Amino acid sequence: MGSSTEAEYAAFLEKVRRTVYLDNLSPKVTESVLKTALNQFGSVKNVQFIPNYLESKNIQRFALVEMDDSNQAKAVLSSMGEFPFMMSGMPRPVRARAAEVEMFDDRPIKPGRTIQCRWLEPDDPDFQVAQKLKRVVRKHAAEASFVLKQQVDQEEKLAKQQADALKQNYKKYELLDGILADGTANRLAWYYGMRNLDD
Amino acid sequence: MVEEAEIENLEFKWGKKRGIGGKKKDVQFYESFTYDGVEYTLYDSVYLYKEEESKPYIGKLIKIWENADKTKRVKVLWFFRPSEISNFLGNDQTPENELFLACGEGVGLTNVNPLEAIAGKCNVVCTSKDSRNPQPSDKELQMSDFIFYRTFDVGLHKVLNKIDEKIAGIEVKFLLNKVDCQKSSGALKVDSKKKNIDKNATASDETLISAQKNIPENMTAKTSAKERGKPSLVKQKSLLSENPASNVDVESGGIAKTSVLEDVSTDSTTFRSKAKENAHTKISSVKQKSALGERVPSGEGAGIGEIVRSNRLENLPGNKSSSSSKVEFEKSKAKGGKVLELKEVVKSTKDRGELDNRPCKRSRLDTSVEAYDDKIKNHMQNLGRDSVWNGAKPKLGIIDFENISKTKVAIPYGIDGGPFKKQKVDEKLIKPTNGKVEKTSSIQPSIFEKKTDKRVLEVARRPNLDRSKWFKELPWEERIRVAHEQGTLVLLENLDPSYTSTEVEDIVWHAFKENCSAKMIQRIAFSSPHSGQAYVIFKTREAAEKVVTKLDEGCLMLSNRRLLVGSVRTPRFTGKQSTFVGHLVIDKLKFQMQREMREAVSTSHCSQPNTLEYDMAIEWCMLQEKLDCAWKKLYEQQGQELRKLKAKLKPK
Repeated sequence: MGSSTEAEYAAFLEKVRRTVYLDNLSPKVTESVLKTALNQFGSVKNVQFIPNYLESKNIQRFALVEMDDSNQAKAVLSSMGEFPFMMSGMPRPVRARAAEVEMFDDRPIKPGRTIQCRWLEPDDPDFQVAQKLKRVVRKHAAEASFVLKQQVDQEEKLAKQQADALKQNYKKYELLDGILADGTANRLAWYYGMRNLDD
Repeated sequence: MVEEAEIENLEFKWGKKRGIGGKKKDVQFYESFTYDGVEYTLYDSVYLYKEEESKPYIGKLIKIWENADKTKRVKVLWFFRPSEISNFLGNDQTPENELFLACGEGVGLTNVNPLEAIAGKCNVVCTSKDSRNPQPSDKELQMSDFIFYRTFDVGLHKVLNKIDEKIAGIEVKFLLNKVDCQKSSGALKVDSKKKNIDKNATASDETLISAQKNIPENMTAKTSAKERGKPSLVKQKSLLSENPASNVDVESGGIAKTSVLEDVSTDSTTFRSKAKENAHTKISSVKQKSALGERVPSGEGAGIGEIVRSNRLENLPGNKSSSSSKVEFEKSKAKGGKVLELKEVVKSTKDRGELDNRPCKRSRLDTSVEAYDDKIKNHMQNLGRDSVWNGAKPKLGIIDFENISKTKVAIPYGIDGGPFKKQKVDEKLIKPTNGKVEKTSSIQPSIFEKKTDKRVLEVARRPNLDRSKWFKELPWEERIRVAHEQGTLVLLENLDPSYTSTEVEDIVWHAFKENCSAKMIQRIAFSSPHSGQAYVIFKTREAAEKVVTKLDEGCLMLSNRRLLVGSVRTPRFTGKQSTFVGHLVIDKLKFQMQREMREAVSTSHCSQPNTLEYDMAIEWCMLQEKLDCAWKKLYEQQGQELRKLKAKLKPK
């Protein structure tokens, strides 16, 4: 019995090693998109999205992509580390990391671990400290959610900035296109005695 | 008569033919058959036994046929026990003996099983007030093992109050109570049992039935006085029956038994002696002693069923006593007693183990001793968990049942027993696969120890309620939403991030004695390494509130001196998102861009350094890096704070 759970756990760890964790995914990315995208590095065995119940709505998505073996997973990691990788949109790149045990929903219980729990008595000297610890835990959670909010804000800010830049660029090109299309460029060329642009 | 032929005959006989079918007209359909001395007819309700399940499955026979290769098949329309669909029942409290008829379309409606998977007949009465349903009499109701009036749509995963015109292509009138059949069936059963024993038939099938009956009944035995009676009756006997149990393999079982019989009741001696004679004939015909050991208990097992039945009829006919030496059953009762006395659970299990092994090993000699031992172990664990007498009782039913069903395998099939069994199990496994076969979580409950330091609880596996996972549960998102609306959702924080969902459920069970289903929130890149979070859904709002206040006012310390924090939090639901921050679309060019994006989808690409896209992507990478640093810093700082505080706790 014991050995079988251990074997199961070892197999699971192997699975972790050949899995890549991706974030900064657009909600448009589906399983098939991920598969086609990562099949260039090897063959994708399984795709699992990590659901997100806690954080705010408009947020990146996360996925675990299991490759055929750990070498393929490494290949994914290194090429995505080298170049920004676009998936279902641009320019925000997808980011890859090695998967961790805790990211898996279906992880088996770690063999040989025992969990203990006890209720502290109110007269226990630790009780006050424990209460404080609980408060700290809550505070930390609040801090994390604040940082996350900051993160989302910054992401939005950058996106907006880039959108503006893109718009400006686009406007410029549109203007150029426009004067070429309606003959303004030609007329100007004629006016200044320049060679026709079309030639 | 040649012995083999005899066994063959008794084992199986086709009844009325129905028609032929199949591609080559080589499939013969039947309307009835006799198996192990019990006659089954189309639309009968039957038990189907699966090894790992403590409770047998229940279904209705809706097709019976023999293939060209002589394999016998039955198509079964399933009944669901409330525990199997508890996720879809909501807060309804359903009696244990209520079943739900499968309907609709989808997995779990019907299955084709080998005929040999049938473990016995089951008396299911429809109590629907529907006009199509012939109303059952009170007597019928009393005699029923189960009732049903609702259906469960396997496609929609909904409990329905109405019964469709047709289910799985079968007209509803066949599925409801049969006109006038019900009344005689009880009597018939008893008769057939007698016949069985007369004919020296392998009574094991009956045994199964009866054994199974014990389970549900014991389980339902919560309050009703009628059912109370049963266990106690059995209890009394347990004392008496120990003798015969040990005598069985001495071959003089018969005589020893009679004495017991007289003690218990006298009017049944005739029946009794028959049983005895059987035992004797068996000795002679079967030759092998081991077989004797096995047969006798099986015959006796049949008796159990009778007791139960007679109890129901409330006229205690004589057959009762024939069962006086239900070896295992009684023994285990005695064991149950031990639990009470010793209270020290672990120790008592051991004791019981010793007790256990003696009688059973003897009676069953070498066949499947190993498997049986395992069972016992399991069983002991079960017992161990509930140190209360009441809690232990239902389990006894199980062991008995398992026992006897083993016997069954051993006897009628002889050498074939093994493979047949396999087949059964395999076949049954098909069924649960449509849900997930989540064996890891459910099967092995173990002992919940109280340590010497009485406040520290070792968290072990909790007893499992929803054993069967036939259906995929609703997606968690949906469950969380519903739970939040009902106020049964709690967010636990500061768990060790490496805990699994089942471990969280176990912790909750041990700390609060509440059953729940938990989901560890999966870690993502910027999750806290210090505090794992889990959503926990309780059965009731009260339970959820209780847990939150208890965690708030008290301090529950887990391993590594983690203090569990619980709160009610509004979960965010990821709705449909159309845009994604950071993916740019120029309004006027939307159409064109979309086309390009579609292309990008198929060729997700690495950005090349000479593009505007690349520049922007690098900006993103920088932002991501920066945020990463921020997270790291934050968690480092938090870790320090925690360490400082924990240092103030008294050292262990």
